[in-house]
Amino acid sequence: MDKRGRLIQKIRNIAVQTPTHILEVPEKVEGFGSINYKPESCSACKKCIEACEVEALDIDLMVQLPAYLSAIIPEEGFRSKNRETLISLLQILKGEGDVQAIPVPSGLSGYGSVVWITEKCIACNKCVEACPEDCLDLEKKYDLPTIIGNVVTPPSISITEWEPFVICFVCWECSHAAADLAGLMHLHYPANIRTVRVPCSGAVEPIQIMTAMENGVDGVLVTGCLLSECHYGGDDPLAGNFMQQDFVHFWQSVFKEIGLGGRLHIDFASAAMGIRFAEIVTEFVEQIRKIGPSPLRGKLEVES
Amino acid sequence: MKKLFLCTCNGTLNKLLDFTRIGKEAKAIYDVVEVADNLCLEEGLAELEKGLSGDDRLVIGACSSQIIGVPMKQRIKNDLVAFVPLREQVGWVHLEEGESATNKAIVLLSDAAVQLDYMESQAEFTENMVGRVLVIGGGIAGLKAASDLHRLGVEVTLLEPFKLDKHHYLQTSVFMSDADTLRSEIQEIQKTILDVERIRGEIREVRGQLGSYEVTINGAKDGSMTQEFGAIIIASGNQQSLPSSAKKMRYGKSERVVTLDSLISNSKKKRAKDRSTILVAVDFDAPMSSVEGSHLLRTTRDLAARGNTIIVVYSDIQTEDENLYREARDSGVIFIRGRVTRIKENDKGLSCRIENTLESMQRDVIADRVAIPRLIGPTIETTQIAEKLGVECDDSGFIRTRYSKMKPVQTSRRGIFVAGGAKMPMSLSDAMASAQNAVLEAFKIVRSPLVRSGWIPVIDDEECDVCKACLDACPNDALRLMDDRIVHIPAHCEFCGICVSACPTRAIEFQSHSKESWFARFEAIAATHKRLEGKKPFSLVFACSECANASIDQAGFVGKQYGTGSYVIQFPCAGMVSPIEILKGLVVGANRVIVAHCPPGGCHHQTGDHLSELVVSLTRDMLREIGQNPDRVRATYMMAAMPDKMQKEVPVRG
Ligand code: SF4
Ligand code: SF4
Ligand code: SF4
Ligand code: SF4
Repeated sequence: MDKRGRLIQKIRNIAVQTPTHILEVPEKVEGFGSINYKPESCSACKKCIEACEVEALDIDLMVQLPAYLSAIIPEEGFRSKNRETLISLLQILKGEGDVQAIPVPSGLSGYGSVVWITEKCIACNKCVEACPEDCLDLEKKYDLPTIIGNVVTPPSISITEWEPFVICFVCWECSHAAADLAGLMHLHYPANIRTVRVPCSGAVEPIQIMTAMENGVDGVLVTGCLLSECHYGGDDPLAGNFMQQDFVHFWQSVFKEIGLGGRLHIDFASAAMGIRFAEIVTEFVEQIRKIGPSPLRGKLEVES
Repeated sequence: MKKLFLCTCNGTLNKLLDFTRIGKEAKAIYDVVEVADNLCLEEGLAELEKGLSGDDRLVIGACSSQIIGVPMKQRIKNDLVAFVPLREQVGWVHLEEGESATNKAIVLLSDAAVQLDYMESQAEFTENMVGRVLVIGGGIAGLKAASDLHRLGVEVTLLEPFKLDKHHYLQTSVFMSDADTLRSEIQEIQKTILDVERIRGEIREVRGQLGSYEVTINGAKDGSMTQEFGAIIIASGNQQSLPSSAKKMRYGKSERVVTLDSLISNSKKKRAKDRSTILVAVDFDAPMSSVEGSHLLRTTRDLAARGNTIIVVYSDIQTEDENLYREARDSGVIFIRGRVTRIKENDKGLSCRIENTLESMQRDVIADRVAIPRLIGPTIETTQIAEKLGVECDDSGFIRTRYSKMKPVQTSRRGIFVAGGAKMPMSLSDAMASAQNAVLEAFKIVRSPLVRSGWIPVIDDEECDVCKACLDACPNDALRLMDDRIVHIPAHCEFCGICVSACPTRAIEFQSHSKESWFARFEAIAATHKRLEGKKPFSLVFACSECANASIDQAGFVGKQYGTGSYVIQFPCAGMVSPIEILKGLVVGANRVIVAHCPPGGCHHQTGDHLSELVVSLTRDMLREIGQNPDRVRATYMMAAMPDKMQKEVPVRG
């Protein structure tokens, strides 16, 4: 399985409720999106399919009559005048009743449409650039319900004695120093966290977050340098922590959809902010304590 | 100026149609309207010539273009001419309909006037042809082709692939005729081609087109060389192989199991003891050509004549000569329809179980020998050569020809021909004949520059998505992909317009036949019909210019009457019709649209009959889906031998 496939598998593994909303993808988050396809102007040239490196597109030998009949022909017309003519003639002739897509007789070239396989798409925009007929565009929406499908809610668990268990990804630079400082200052923060040192908060990969959850942790905390002080990019909007902030927001929305809302958090502290670091941890642990143990603990228990 | 010339056909047509009304109506759309009595005779032609200046656009309202078109072409230089067959498609087929027939004439003339508006001069091109021909294969067909070309004064290169030497041909050609005849035939021909260039080698690469194929050959001696040829003849012959069932027949395991040919060819030295029982096990699944069948019958007949008992177990035998079968039976050959399912060897011989598929019975036979006829297939080289040359093969690997009757030596690529056994197993005389045929075709190409004219498809790079649908659809390899754009090769083009309907973006338009021109014509027909005939329904018949048009003309000659609301529109090939033209026909108000093509398999452009059926089937599906009656659109075939087809499609009223 490719990387995207593994990630989606992980999300399926940790989902405890069926997602119902199509998610907005934050601006800086790349790699997730939706392809909008207009069959009415498509010439079935397969240029998009050739361009897609992850085989997220395929030809479908169907004439998408419903789209043809509901298409509104723009003032300047389609680029392909031929399809435009076909559609306008069909619209004139349209009689009563519902319309369905029909198969292309086998052996006839020049007809067909494209199917987009949501979960394979890495939103690279290559197909959009390749399409000569402007039938495709990439939208910052992620169709989580389609990708994850139906989720079986794991049995609820009754845990009497429970202490939250939180994984904290700390960046090599500021956050780790802050954590050290907090220790040096003998500040109290809950013993419920285990820190994992990473070069930069931006280097935390979603699959690592999912893996932590999969193994039954109750929450994941990502900490980085103060915004604009990232050691890998500084105040560049594309610096590690800026990027990760958007990504974590995206994953938070995913978590909410799959029944893990509130269990992922990102925050920032400079090397000198030992106190702030202790606060961040305390607040997050308290939050988790309120939400309760990870529902996945139940799943793990059943499995083991 | 737009001029209309009407002909009364020696004072007959004006009795069937109201020429006064036609003339009056026509004056509104033509600048000049003339009426002649015998447009096809000298006086008429002279009058026509006198009345024309070079840049006039002209409509001839007379008999079929097949008739009047011929003398006209010789006399008149104007190339913007449209024909309205008032006689065959109106006067003679609507004898009972008086006024309505006249109305139809007027409708057709209004269509022709619009047709003129969109007509362009035909493209003309001259291409110089390389004078040399490449013949591949030095067997009987190849030698014959080289020899004939040489005799015609054409420069020839004879390429002999490494593995196909004289021995190969003599060995594998037993079925063509007896070895002695073959050997002497080959020797005779060899003498005639002493000064022909002969190379031993294999083809590495082929580029170019009819008239200038650039061929790179890896030679045995001088390394590789590249040379240009105007045409290529493939004569890579046959080879024989054991059928896959041979092993099951214990071939190679038992000395008593041999090939059928070995019983004959070894006859002089270690001939099978006569008076033995020989079971001939024909492979049950492999189809047998008539040449193989004849060879089988000849061989078994001879073996039986020597006193052997011959049992032939077969599924199907074809032969070129029915007598052979009789002769074989008369010599005592026993034929059992079925298959050999098991062979066991014991000290008495071979115990063979035969399943008689006709009577569904089993029986065991003890034979001294089992003989297996070898299968004849193309040489392995044939496949390689075909691949390098870009020509198609059939399922058995033989070179595919375009249509066996009309162009028996034409491969799927123009300028490349096939001679002899590379096409199918052939007898000696057939192989020689096919070589002659290929020589003739090649000679026609290389003897003079190619001068052609016609309306051609024009590709608009801006509109093209490079989807390559047209490449797949073109039956003549006349479109190619070069530097990521589609290039048209006029020398290969047959002017069929199939590429137009294949193109999803209509980046290809056919000269004089653009989408706009069809639409304008349909609109003119509908408007004029409505004005003259009111609400009376009408049909549009999209007829291919070959068989379908001939059938419609023929209806006129034999007087098969049909309804008047029927307007025939000629397409170069029915394969050019796309759903758009059909739907437009319905939109302008036609009650029915009939797409008429050549009979199945008889399309002059190979695929037009089939493609038009597919286009119509898609259009019908679309109509059904959008709530319209799909039966308003039909595809059908027509041919000159069936003049009543129009009557079936457009019945007489009442
Ligand atoms: S955006 Fe990229 S991955 Fe998605 S369908 Fe297009 S080419 Fe394929
Ligand atoms: S590239 Fe555009 S026109 Fe071509 S098949 Fe894809 S969507 Fe259709
Ligand atoms: S007109 Fe016919 S032969 Fe010519 S390019 Fe088009 S499809 Fe090929
Ligand atoms: S079918 Fe049309 S769009 Fe496709 S490659 Fe040919 S000319 Fe271009």
